[in-house]
Amino acid sequence: MTALFTATLAQGELPNVMSGVTLYHFLFTSAAMFVIGLIGFLTRRNLIIMFLCTELMFQAAGIALIAFSRFWMNHTGETFVIFVLTVAAAEAAMALALVVLLFRRKETLDSSAWREMKG
Amino acid sequence: MIEKIHALWPEITLFAAACVVMVVGLSRNVQVRRLCVPVCFIALVAAGVLAWFTTPMSAAAMAHLPQYGKTLAAFVGALLLLLLVGTPDREYEDDVARGRAAFEPIRGTRGEFYAFYLFSITGLMLCAGADDLIWLFLALELTSLPTYIMVAISTGRNRSMEAGVKYFFLGALGAATFLFGFALIYGATGSTKYTAIAEALQAQYQAGPLNAIAVAGVVLAVLGIGFKIAAVPMHFYTADVYQGASAPVSAMLAFVPKAAGFFALLGLLSCVGWFRATEPNTSLPEPIHEVLWFMAVLTMTVGNVLAVMQNSVKRILAYSSIAHSGYMLVGLIAGPGLQKDSFTHNGLAAVLFYLLVYGVSNIGAFAVLACLERRGRDGQMEEADDIADLRGLCSRRPLLGWIMVISSLGLLGLPPLLGFWGKMPLFTAGVSSGDYLLVVILGLNSAIAAFYYLRLVGVTLLEAPDAPGRGVPVQPGPFPTRVLAGVASVAGIIMLSFIPLTNQAQRAGIYNRDPIIKRSAEPAQPAVPKPEV
Repeated sequence: MTALFTATLAQGELPNVMSGVTLYHFLFTSAAMFVIGLIGFLTRRNLIIMFLCTELMFQAAGIALIAFSRFWMNHTGETFVIFVLTVAAAEAAMALALVVLLFRRKETLDSSAWREMKG
Repeated sequence: MIEKIHALWPEITLFAAACVVMVVGLSRNVQVRRLCVPVCFIALVAAGVLAWFTTPMSAAAMAHLPQYGKTLAAFVGALLLLLLVGTPDREYEDDVARGRAAFEPIRGTRGEFYAFYLFSITGLMLCAGADDLIWLFLALELTSLPTYIMVAISTGRNRSMEAGVKYFFLGALGAATFLFGFALIYGATGSTKYTAIAEALQAQYQAGPLNAIAVAGVVLAVLGIGFKIAAVPMHFYTADVYQGASAPVSAMLAFVPKAAGFFALLGLLSCVGWFRATEPNTSLPEPIHEVLWFMAVLTMTVGNVLAVMQNSVKRILAYSSIAHSGYMLVGLIAGPGLQKDSFTHNGLAAVLFYLLVYGVSNIGAFAVLACLERRGRDGQMEEADDIADLRGLCSRRPLLGWIMVISSLGLLGLPPLLGFWGKMPLFTAGVSSGDYLLVVILGLNSAIAAFYYLRLVGVTLLEAPDAPGRGVPVQPGPFPTRVLAGVASVAGIIMLSFIPLTNQAQRAGIYNRDPIIKRSAEPAQPAVPKPEV
């Protein structure tokens, strides 16, 4: 069983449990996540939800990277994802700091409450 | 891996200085706190010298880009630092000096501010030296992340925070977009190295049209990086952020992320290539060319038309910065041209030179704003922003007034000044690539730009001074270094035209296509210029 498992892995295919799943399924999932994140970012007004939408877009790219990494049988994409996760964590820290700062000033998370500048 | 360390001495210098500054800025002793700026300045100068003398040639298609880009970053960075002096903690330090508040390190932001500035410049240098998509992604994020915080803490006002949050959210959207683009480029080519990507794409050209995933990846990456250079459709934040941030920080935003974005675009597009062994013409492949073309036209036009309608000087400069990005995109579209050693035919060299021109000229205009303040609606003194604040500045404050006049004319590109020598190669490169329509649009836009730049000149030079309390010099404590930054910028606008810096830009803009062509099955065909559209 283990030998079969490593043999299929070496050929770049996923184990039998997911035998019907191809690169395109992963790409479709990733593109769908990216678009959902984009639509959410453009339509929602709550700052935290908007931030989560950008995170969704980052992770969509992560899924695409891992799927491609498996497709090409090299580790570049996986390495890329580790760095992306690190940067996403740094961005999350900054986003929360900024949102807390804003909440202390106006007691709301609604982005439309902040419209001092126009033109 | 270890050999890459030798290419990174300037970045290591800046990083070490940033760590020192972060600690020094927390000191309870005001004299020690003031060491932040000298440490930053010495580090930037040292990094500039190291960048010029130690940067090796890159293996990517533009071998001399890292040396030029890193030196440019350090040089303009040192000028910007002179302008940034006194921005963090202005009100708080004033209170501490008058004994109204006790100094608590936790409330001070000076150390973070200067350290973040150095981190941002480090990121810009890494962008110039990038030869890998992972590296490029990290470098772009290192350039941008500190600037979000710098905008938010640049003044104590609500509008700075609003600007910081807007900048952050749209920046995250842009980052996600180009990251997805990078993922698709990796998927289409199997590597994140520039050289391997260029090779894989060239192999695809041989077989037929480019892979759809590669095209989608490059387009998404260009759109995402469009946020950094403030190009349409990712330009919405620009005016609000520049207006909300303190003027020195706006000056920094106009140069650092923009330069990082252009270095990234140069790297990416040189992987795609303007030459193909199978086709005789010299332009980017079809969908990518079209996307960049419409981006350039819209960016120039939208930026200039909206700038005409503004009354806030910062917003005028913000929209004009959008327009300048559009001009530079023309150079990217024109590509490296067919004559290898000709500066006037090489759009890439024109872009690199224009970055220097814009970086130097822009500092003067923002320096004048940073030196002036006015009484705001709430009775507090705030930064000068309205165009009425500049009325009669030449008679009231001749030095500041003339800095404003010359830097406006420099940005406009009046012939003897530096701006003209920056814009001319963009025109000639556009003409030699055969895209006459784009060059005509560039010319029309330069004419529109004359309207608002001459308005700035006219208000400053010709009109009588306005009511008192508008546009008076900053109290308490002048910032002589800000005036110095303005004077240095004006000196640059006048003097740099006489120094043959174009040679350096030309060398940095050399696009080496030989390795790619040699590998192709057919011998290189004698290329002919693209016929007129």
